[in-house]
Amino acid sequence: MAEHFRILGIESSCDDSAASVVEGRPGAARVLSSIVEGQASLHAAFGGVVPEIAARAHAERLDGCVMRALDAAELTLRDVDAVAVTAGPGLIGGVMSGVMLAKGLALGAGKPLLGVNHLAGHALTPRLTDGLTYPYLMLLVSGGHCQFLLVKGPDAFSRLGGTIDDAPGEAFDKTARLLGLPQPGGPSVETEAAKGDPRRFRLPRPLLGKSGCDMSFSGLKTALLRARDSICAESGGLTRQDRADLCAAFQAAVSDVLVEKSRRALATYLELQPSQPALAVAGGVAANAAIRTALERLCESASVRFVAPPLSLCTDNAAMIAYAGLEMFQAGGRADMSLTARPRWPLDASQTPMLGSGKKGAKA
Amino acid sequence: MPSSAPLILGFDTSGPWCGVALLRGDAVVAAQHEEMRKGQAERLFPMIEEVLAASGAELAALDAIGVGTGPGNFTGIRIAVSAARGLALSLGIPAVGVSLLEAMACGAPQGAPVLSALSAPRDHVYIEGFGTAQDIPRTFLPLDEISKSFAEDGLAVVGTAAAEVAAHLGATESPAAQDPAEAIARIAAQRWQGEVPPPAPLYFRPADAAPASDPPPRILDET
Repeated sequence: MAEHFRILGIESSCDDSAASVVEGRPGAARVLSSIVEGQASLHAAFGGVVPEIAARAHAERLDGCVMRALDAAELTLRDVDAVAVTAGPGLIGGVMSGVMLAKGLALGAGKPLLGVNHLAGHALTPRLTDGLTYPYLMLLVSGGHCQFLLVKGPDAFSRLGGTIDDAPGEAFDKTARLLGLPQPGGPSVETEAAKGDPRRFRLPRPLLGKSGCDMSFSGLKTALLRARDSICAESGGLTRQDRADLCAAFQAAVSDVLVEKSRRALATYLELQPSQPALAVAGGVAANAAIRTALERLCESASVRFVAPPLSLCTDNAAMIAYAGLEMFQAGGRADMSLTARPRWPLDASQTPMLGSGKKGAKA
Repeated sequence: MPSSAPLILGFDTSGPWCGVALLRGDAVVAAQHEEMRKGQAERLFPMIEEVLAASGAELAALDAIGVGTGPGNFTGIRIAVSAARGLALSLGIPAVGVSLLEAMACGAPQGAPVLSALSAPRDHVYIEGFGTAQDIPRTFLPLDEISKSFAEDGLAVVGTAAAEVAAHLGATESPAAQDPAEAIARIAAQRWQGEVPPPAPLYFRPADAAPASDPPPRILDET
């Protein structure tokens, strides 16, 4: 019987400043508090997250988030067993603010420090929300990431495949921009898609013909732009129906790619003969109802449990960092005061990097 | 110095260095200053631990923290400010933000006019006058636009851009009297009692970001 721990988690790798307290043991923990301060309004004018703006906001907001998370849990720092912080991958200015704040908190309170991989936070969330047992298959699909992970333990991940260029969340945002819809693109494109005909425009399903689980989404954006421009050239603009149809076509293409690649990833996963087979999704794109329904149907046909954590724990948050920290802490992991913030930090170091190379190393 | 004198920890990473100083009353108990272009995020806390160990003081005995808020390297000032906020929160003590312009001028002879000048990218500087005949507020500007009228008898120019600015004004370049961390601790020692706002980086410049360029398409049936 593992011990119970209380872990403070801190997250600042993109445009959400977050802090949380999680209590329990691996596979049986609960969220005592989870504070997320988004920055959407700060970045709205720029059509995407501006790293310097994000870093400035994190530096002046994170300690407030920590105070609020402790207050909401009715605890003080003395009551937690360790401080867990996202140490990468992500926008380095924000990650660094989080890491430095966490070092100050840990040193001042005399608590151990844990450096958590942001992707591990997402990948372990189904253990927090649904108590999934290892090994399970994870589809992490967000604004910054898209990959299939075999999760075999708190520190044992195999990447089965992932995007070779953009993440689907980026593609949703870009689609929204191209069509004059508000950011974030995910919800606004989904709303329009519901009113559209996915068959009117035929957009490509990149890499579907190639074996394996790798994906590509940047060509899809370009195809959408061409379709938009040809309508605009003909009619001088888009009707609302044109726009809805384009959204529907785009969403259907993303969904088809994710479902087909998930089918292949499931086949590889099921070779492990897991006793309780499950596919979990995380990331903001997992909130898309059409994509979710398609994945659910796939799982049903494969007799695999489908798990999608609630949206608040699917998108960036600090409860996942606290929970991943809890698993690390239980396993004896500790960071020291020289903990480094890393812009790039692949979860599966055994694989050839998919994105990024050179002296900065692999992104994912 | 009686042991009841306040214990203040000062640190700074706003320039190409990492510095920590521990002050008890008026006396520097222990201090370290290392020149470094990068790596401050990894070095700062081990250096704090080393300075405390050298002084035999416990972190819990600190009365306040002084932290350099720049201006300077944006990442550098966020490193120190975030660290200070974490320590302040966990120790339940105030953290006082101190500008590097003020820190550089600290320790100058009483009454002597000082122009503090810090290097910035693209031939720009940050300047501020202390005890100068003309009021010279904190400003960010191209080096060659500094008014020559700032030159005055006995003016000492300090800071990372001291040589260039002194040459521009025909004034005298002076070394700062103290390392930044020590100066920051000394200034914080005068301010930590009473209302202290949380330390915040001094940027002077908005974030480099351009609004989204590609215009959205015209929507034909938009009413």
